[in-house]
Amino acid sequence: MKKFTVLASAIALIAALASCSKKDTTVVTKPPVPISHPINSDTIGGFTKGTLLAGKTYTVNHTVFVKTGDTLLFQPGANIIVKNNSQFSIQGVLQVLGTQASPVKFNSFAGTPGTWRGFGCDSAQSVTIKWADVKNTGGPSAKGGTTVAVKVARQIPVDIEDSWFSNGQDDGLALYAGNLIILRNTITSSGSNDGEAINIKNGASGIVAYNVIYSQAGTGVKLETAAKVVTAETSVDVYNNTIVSSGWRRGSAEPGRAFSIGATAYGRFYNNIIVNCYHGFEVFADADVAKTKYGYNLFYASQDGLLDTTQNSNTIIKIRDNFYPTSGVGVAQATDIISKSVGDKDPKFKTYDGIPLLVNGAPNNNDFHLQSSSPAIGAGITTWAGLTGNIPTGSGPNKDLGAYPQDGTGNKH
Amino acid sequence: MANKHYLLFILTIALPTYLFGQNATLKGQVTDATTKETLIGAYVRFDGSSNGTTTDVNGQYALTNLKPGFYKVKVTYIGYTPFEKEFTLSAGQVYILNISLATGSNTLKVVSIHGKLDNETESASRSNEKNSNNIKNVISAQAIARSPDINAANVLQRVSGVTIQRNAGGDDAYPIIRGIEPRYNNTLINGVKIASPESQSRFVSLSIVPSELLQRIEVSKTLTPEMEGDAIGGTVNLVFKDAPEKRDIVATGSIGYSQLFIDRKFTKYQTKDIQKYSPSELNGQSYNATADNFSRSNLDFTQTRALPTTAFSVYYAERFLKSKLGVIIGNNYQNLYYGSNSEVNTSAVDGNSADHRPIILQDIVRQYSTNQKLENFITHLDFKINDKNKISLDNVLLYSHLTESATASDTSIVGGNGGRTIPGTGPISYVARSTNNDQLVENLKLSGNHILSKHFLFDWTGAYSDAGVRNPDQATLNTTNAITYDPSTKQFTTVPTVFDGISRIWQHNNDKDVTGIANLTYTKSWGESSFFEFKVGGLYRHKKRYNFGDEYSLNPNLSGNRKEGFNGIYNITFNVFNPNGSGGYNANNYDALENVTAYFGQFKFSFPMVDIIGGVRSETTLQEYTLGDDNPYTANSVSKQYTDILPSIDFKFKLSEKTNLRASYFKSIARPSYSDLIPVPQPSSGGEQIVGNPGLLHTTADSYDIRFELFPKQDEQFYVGTYYKKLTNLIETKIGGVNQGQLIITPKNTNNATVAGVEFVATKYIGKIGISGNYAYTYSDVLDRKIDRNNPALAEADRPFEHRKLSGASIHDLNVSLLYRDIKNKINLQLAYQFLGSTLVQIYDYTGDDYIQKPQSVLAFSGDAALNSHIVLFGKFNNLLNTHKIIQLHDINTANEFTKATYLLGLRYNY
Repeated sequence: MKKFTVLASAIALIAALASCSKKDTTVVTKPPVPISHPINSDTIGGFTKGTLLAGKTYTVNHTVFVKTGDTLLFQPGANIIVKNNSQFSIQGVLQVLGTQASPVKFNSFAGTPGTWRGFGCDSAQSVTIKWADVKNTGGPSAKGGTTVAVKVARQIPVDIEDSWFSNGQDDGLALYAGNLIILRNTITSSGSNDGEAINIKNGASGIVAYNVIYSQAGTGVKLETAAKVVTAETSVDVYNNTIVSSGWRRGSAEPGRAFSIGATAYGRFYNNIIVNCYHGFEVFADADVAKTKYGYNLFYASQDGLLDTTQNSNTIIKIRDNFYPTSGVGVAQATDIISKSVGDKDPKFKTYDGIPLLVNGAPNNNDFHLQSSSPAIGAGITTWAGLTGNIPTGSGPNKDLGAYPQDGTGNKH
Repeated sequence: MANKHYLLFILTIALPTYLFGQNATLKGQVTDATTKETLIGAYVRFDGSSNGTTTDVNGQYALTNLKPGFYKVKVTYIGYTPFEKEFTLSAGQVYILNISLATGSNTLKVVSIHGKLDNETESASRSNEKNSNNIKNVISAQAIARSPDINAANVLQRVSGVTIQRNAGGDDAYPIIRGIEPRYNNTLINGVKIASPESQSRFVSLSIVPSELLQRIEVSKTLTPEMEGDAIGGTVNLVFKDAPEKRDIVATGSIGYSQLFIDRKFTKYQTKDIQKYSPSELNGQSYNATADNFSRSNLDFTQTRALPTTAFSVYYAERFLKSKLGVIIGNNYQNLYYGSNSEVNTSAVDGNSADHRPIILQDIVRQYSTNQKLENFITHLDFKINDKNKISLDNVLLYSHLTESATASDTSIVGGNGGRTIPGTGPISYVARSTNNDQLVENLKLSGNHILSKHFLFDWTGAYSDAGVRNPDQATLNTTNAITYDPSTKQFTTVPTVFDGISRIWQHNNDKDVTGIANLTYTKSWGESSFFEFKVGGLYRHKKRYNFGDEYSLNPNLSGNRKEGFNGIYNITFNVFNPNGSGGYNANNYDALENVTAYFGQFKFSFPMVDIIGGVRSETTLQEYTLGDDNPYTANSVSKQYTDILPSIDFKFKLSEKTNLRASYFKSIARPSYSDLIPVPQPSSGGEQIVGNPGLLHTTADSYDIRFELFPKQDEQFYVGTYYKKLTNLIETKIGGVNQGQLIITPKNTNNATVAGVEFVATKYIGKIGISGNYAYTYSDVLDRKIDRNNPALAEADRPFEHRKLSGASIHDLNVSLLYRDIKNKINLQLAYQFLGSTLVQIYDYTGDDYIQKPQSVLAFSGDAALNSHIVLFGKFNNLLNTHKIIQLHDINTANEFTKATYLLGLRYNY
């Protein structure tokens, strides 16, 4: 027994000693890198450059101007409250560098749709927005019109990833030029009665992928060069996006589309899921029809039609008839997955209330991840002719349709 | 011999020394002693009496009912040797006095400044043209009264080489002279620049100037150093009536109607609730406007019958204080109803066709219904202090009040919003707009002539010109629907019409000019008929301008989460999207100034065979503006300064008493207007942004002219001329790039252009029938880069060159009038025909095509007949062919507008 006790004690001692041993620790000391122009004031406005600090709350009292050559950088968790219908008016470099754990938050003081004027990056040098939560943009411009959440009008690098844009009044991302990387964003309930979620014009090029667009007043992704062309044609790869309940608020005279391609623009559209949008995929006759390629997209309507009682017309808008509306020149592709009735080819979102028409600013209580029985899984293609080479690693097309492929590489929201 | 004949005869019959008895008659004929030419339109009168007459087309005059007595007749005709005769008239006597006047000597220049010239006759106009230092065309009041023309714009389009540019739907009209657009020409009232009421240009619409109050219109096609140098095509001078030697009262009333409103109704809206000031102007910038701040009745459009157009004009002239003080008061009131119907197709490059020619984007059907009330008031005072000093005061006040309904339905054919699948389908946006416009132009001028000594003459002018416009509450209602076609059921469906928002704009601007001019002339004569004149002078003008605009967007409230159906203006609901308005920081709100300082030296040698007029003018311009803009990235203040040295020379070879041969050279400029320079988007420019360009250079031009003039008889003419112009740094509106997703349209300099032409003018009478006509052929060439329609992304410097016409230049401009005059029965008839050849009206930005206005034929008829010695009945019938204005781009009709015929009848009373 004593022997046993000694043995046990020895084992315990060894175990205790073993548990006391630690892994290697390495301490690397870098010279301290100072934050560039830290902004310590609680309020900002006027000509500004430097770094808005992590976790700090700032109040924007009037429009912030960033000159050519200057940089405005937002650290993770910076919290921005905008007053007086102000704007970030950028001619220099914009870097909003939130993280999944600490997004950078932008909202107006009023907190209602259309109460600040977003990011005017018309002639910026570059735009990077990552993990930003941008709410309630679209306040009146100097001339009294609406404004957009982010506007770019120069051929510059534009990288917008993993961000939320909600409750705007007009376009969400108005990208009127640029080399675009628009990845994994969620644009919800924007446009009071008009406006596209992503509006791409005038020779812009790049990728639009893994975005979720929900309850947009107008079109989800619109490509258009201009009626009068003075640039190269607009050309974008649009894949693995999920567009739901969009295009209704603008009314029946000007239906919103999930995707529209017009005025000497073209694109390549694959692996997208389109559910309950007024019009689905519409190529206008003045688009570069020959170069516009599409297929492997899923179209679904969770109800046969939507009653329009405007002026007591009591017409029923048949959603399935408008997947490829007759007003456009686009036609259904053999590779598409097209629902023929309610329940047929249902992409099986985790949760979806099925309401097509909602008010500007309506909350999104749905989860557009796919159930494992979804017909969208494995139905896509992973490459096609003309696919731009400028794709961040891990963000290429996925064989699962929509913004939430099963392997988790898609939208993180 | 220049300055010898002035148009007008002054035939003064000196006072009878004693008077008795009754019923004598004095009559006879007045002729030129050398040429034996009869002198028409001379005014004959007894001093202290209103009994007078004018010589007729045969130079005849007659004065009846004269009291017997001793008379001393003294005939002074400027340019002719004075004529004197004493005689006695006995009771019942018919005294025949034929007067032939000898052309006179050299002191005429001095006389001329006090001469009372009856400038209203056609023969006066011919003499004006014949004797002028430069090349010009003159239209007399007499010709205007007999023509079908109602306003200055109508009159001008009958001048050789002049065409009129009109805006769509409106009545605004600006002169194109020798194919050179309005921006390169200037308009004067009584010889002085006038301020512009337009918010974007320097123009004054000639359609607001009534022909009734004009004495004459002069179009100068070449410049002398004493004239302002900013006229490349030419200068239009509107000369209002001047006090004659006798009392004169003319009253005119007329009533008219347009065929347009026989064929369709007039769209009207209510004006009772229109607010003169915007909510922010009334309550301050921080005021939050609500839906209740905006009236609805001015968007309540109803269809009614148009009332007849009416006009009334009265003009009174009198001389007081032994003719030392001349007074004129004239008033013209017009209440006009006009409109137009048009179909417009917007177009763009067809990206899907092999040759990238244009296709139709939209089909827009428009109707305008306009009521314009014009109230024009002129006053003139001249006071002869003595034989050597005279002072004049002129005031011209033009007031216009306009209410206009404009409706448009715009069907998208391709692109944008879906477009058309088969004819009859497509998304349609409807626009209904009510515009209220008050315009006031005032031009006050004080001037003096002073003979300082035998050789020196001093003249000066001070002028104040003020032009203001107020557009209170321009309201635009937008509604939309769409027509779709289902090929399976073969059914057309119209979706419900929804309310798509309202915009409200309050805009006003004001332009003020203060001008001072002083000239000193030295004259020295030698021999019988030669003289030398040297004139120096200067001008300073300070021009100030502001522009204010305040816009509100009224957005539809959503109904059932979507746009509300449109069930009439009183049933819709909306919210004010920008409750503070845009007046506080509207980039288009600006203050601007322009200072012009000019000096000149001008000489004139007048020999029996030739006149030589020449010299040099220097003009220094300072243009500045500041913007009410909150954008620190764009220029908010710009200052430009430039000086031009403008030489000119005119030769006039007096080949005979009746013929001139002229040759001239001049250099001139055109200044950019304010909005051309301001680099911010202008409001209401639709899908394109119109943005100014501060780097714009002013235009300069060298012009060469030759004209042969023959004056067969007093009111006849035959001119043939040719000219060549080289323009540098043209200002043309082009695509300036793409910004903020919109196409930028901006004024840019085009390197240069060549314009040349030939002009003929002829008037000939054979008995009662006359024919008057002119023809101008205009050649123009601009070599400029255009966007390659097959390769639009080429950099600007690599774009191909293409030859094209100058914008605004009609290749052919023909006017022919058939005239009938029966002097005995006092009947005048005129049939006026105009042909305008094809005209490039707008530059298409891509290679291969331009917007070309198709040739037009316009026919008008007018007539007047004297009912008695005081009352004339007249009629004016315009646009009898209902000429359409059609603009083509390649094979597309981009515009087709018509206004239909107008009919006018009136009575004119002459004292």
